[in-house]
Amino acid sequence: MNCLTKLGLIALLAVVAIGSGCSKKPKNITPIPNGYNGSAAPGSDLSQGGALRGGPGNSGRFTQPTDTAPRELGIDPSKAGGSNELPSGNLRDGKIEDRETFKANTVYFEYDKSAIKSSELAKIAAVAEHLKSHAEASLAVEGHCDERGTEEYNRSLSERRALSIRERLVNLGVSANRVTTEAFGEDKPADLGHDESAWSKNRRGEFILLVPPSLK
Amino acid sequence: MKLPSLLQAMAIGAAVLPALAAGFDAEISGQAVKSIPIAVTGYTGEAAQVLKFDLEVLGFDVVPAAKAQFELKAGAGSEVQGTLIDTGNQHPLFARSYPGGSVRSQAHTLSDDVVKAVTGNAGIARTKIAYKADLGGAKEVYVSDYDGANAFRATEDRSITASPAWVPGRLALLYTSYKGGKPDVYSHDLATGARSRVFGFNGLNTSATVSPDGTRIAVILSKAGSPDLWVSNIDGTNPRQLTTTKESESSPCWSPDSKTICFVSNRDGKAALYTISAGGGEMRKLSTGGILNCTEPDWSPDGKWIAFTRAAGEFTLYVVPAGGGDATAITAGEDPSWARNSRTIVFTRGRDRARRLSLLDVPTRRVKDVNRISGSCSQPSWAR
Repeated sequence: MNCLTKLGLIALLAVVAIGSGCSKKPKNITPIPNGYNGSAAPGSDLSQGGALRGGPGNSGRFTQPTDTAPRELGIDPSKAGGSNELPSGNLRDGKIEDRETFKANTVYFEYDKSAIKSSELAKIAAVAEHLKSHAEASLAVEGHCDERGTEEYNRSLSERRALSIRERLVNLGVSANRVTTEAFGEDKPADLGHDESAWSKNRRGEFILLVPPSLK
Repeated sequence: MKLPSLLQAMAIGAAVLPALAAGFDAEISGQAVKSIPIAVTGYTGEAAQVLKFDLEVLGFDVVPAAKAQFELKAGAGSEVQGTLIDTGNQHPLFARSYPGGSVRSQAHTLSDDVVKAVTGNAGIARTKIAYKADLGGAKEVYVSDYDGANAFRATEDRSITASPAWVPGRLALLYTSYKGGKPDVYSHDLATGARSRVFGFNGLNTSATVSPDGTRIAVILSKAGSPDLWVSNIDGTNPRQLTTTKESESSPCWSPDSKTICFVSNRDGKAALYTISAGGGEMRKLSTGGILNCTEPDWSPDGKWIAFTRAAGEFTLYVVPAGGGDATAITAGEDPSWARNSRTIVFTRGRDRARRLSLLDVPTRRVKDVNRISGSCSQPSWAR
């Protein structure tokens, strides 16, 4: 093979590589490479020539990740509009947080339960009334757990708690499109203690009013 | 395999395999098996420390030569060297030198060779783990060697980062981060630092885990109004809802053939383990022999076992046959993750935001803590 043929072949391969790369690449997403700078899989002999060889010298790559713009994955249109379906847009866009107005309305739960206790219903009703008379506001409901469950179980349970509150608000006439939920599991305790007195304060749902800046 | 090494392997297998392999599957859920006594002679400093740790994690007891079934002898070289001897007949099983890399990696490689020669199974001393560390405010994801050495902080978002899971066969993680104010799932390539949001729906996006064949992600999403199990393509596209319970699902894990997902649901009031076809269908309760409050399942890579956490006041690790049956309590702790050898488990123990990671050798029940970073560590994931 002479030099010219070789060059031509390389150019052709390059064009094919670029072409196939572009056609598969979704917009606004950092492509995830098929491999990494080494021959070993992470489950295998990384110390023997894998990307982490030399350890601390690579730390920069770990501590400075590059973010890419988020994207909407879209919602199945056949499911949209159900009262339990969460809204698709970001309710926080253009709004500021008001954590004070409903501080006293924090809803508390029984251990390992997401049902609303009758003692908590009036707190939720007051929030519903406020939302009905303040059309400009939206609401985030934060769900939390005590530390006695396992972590991911608690993350789901705390979301279930926030959703129970949201469903109550919707039943009281608040538009489902104005209320979103944020689950924190056991990661944001209100009380750092390790007894029932602390746990009972940590099993909770908090109301964060989202209001336009001019009205705050 | 070349003929001499094949013959050597067969000879080794005939000589020593029955000592460990015979009752392994029976013993994993029964009584603890005995450790294999080994003498480790002539090593000093880091090499001695690493060899002792590695071998004890894999079911050996480091003892004086007079009581040993095997002896590992150091050589004269500046690099780590090792001669493994069967003390019964004084036959050497191998004599090797480990040039290159750090003393630490040389010693890990040697201990892997000892494990391979004695048990016939590949070692795990050069594998990685990822975990969540509570630094007293921020919760970040770390990556380290399996013994906790060479810890890297993979995230620095000063937010809550949780539930790291390795992408099989890749130096990449999925994890949940609150950097956007709520739980979203990110994909993070550790070699390049490139990161992208994979699931960012309103509500809960968490517990993402990639199928062993690398083609799909199982994840908990609440976008339909309840925390349900969903399966998407590997890039997060085309999410399909697998469960529709009113109650919450959590912690999915995959069978090694990527066909079945085991997860937690409290559909019937108490947390229990369920399985479902990854393509959809009925969710089926997995029998755990009457044990309630079962969470955090992890399927062993050989497909035989599911380890899980019973959360009932205390956290206890259990192992149950993957088809269901009687569950066996193994040790106090939570959130098990199997190594690729289907024998060793990394898990969390301790309470009160002072948790640490430990390694469990299931057959011998031995537990050893990994090197600690400051902070409370949990949610380990073993790369495999």
